[in-house]
Amino acid sequence: MLLAFRCALASERVAATAIEANEFPQLSQELGVYAVPRIVVDGEPRWDGAVPEPEFLRRILAA
Amino acid sequence: MPLLRPEEQTKVRDWFAELGRPVGLLVGLGPEETPRAGSGDVDFGAEMVRVCEELADLGEGVTCRVEEEPAGFLRFPAVSIRPEGRDVGVRYDGLPWGYELGSLVGAIIEAGREESTLHPDSLAALEQIDRDVTLDVFVTPT
Repeated sequence: MLLAFRCALASERVAATAIEANEFPQLSQELGVYAVPRIVVDGEPRWDGAVPEPEFLRRILAA
Repeated sequence: MPLLRPEEQTKVRDWFAELGRPVGLLVGLGPEETPRAGSGDVDFGAEMVRVCEELADLGEGVTCRVEEEPAGFLRFPAVSIRPEGRDVGVRYDGLPWGYELGSLVGAIIEAGREESTLHPDSLAALEQIDRDVTLDVFVTPT
């Protein structure tokens, strides 16, 4: 989670929100959240699980 | 019961004492979704206020404000983490408890830094982004 926050703090282009899945079950269901962390980029579920910083950046840029 | 044990409070106080710039926490309260069964009989809004106010008490550079349905908030309760009071798009929707409390503390520490802790290559990659990107990270209080 912190990695997403760091990206948002470092770039005016990036916004990052942590969403507590249990408190927002409807949204979690819509986005098929069964494992955490689930990373959603621009509203599209992209991947589950933590990845190293370079890979995280690569995936954001590729999205 | 306090949010953090005394030794944890000391640690967080030390971290917050090193902040290079002030950090504002804007807590947004409003209509809440019915949480998943098993979440217990918790007043999530009240707990969010308690969490953020307790954290603000641990550092002179950390302040907490509470508003009803502030602009830009999509879900409630939530907290916007704001370096020097500016909304830079960093928010936590829902109550950050358990392990996730560390994410909120970490976000405050990062927001309080003048320089990013990202690797220079990552910063260079971020500079390539020429459109707005929204990252939503779903978490649970494990």
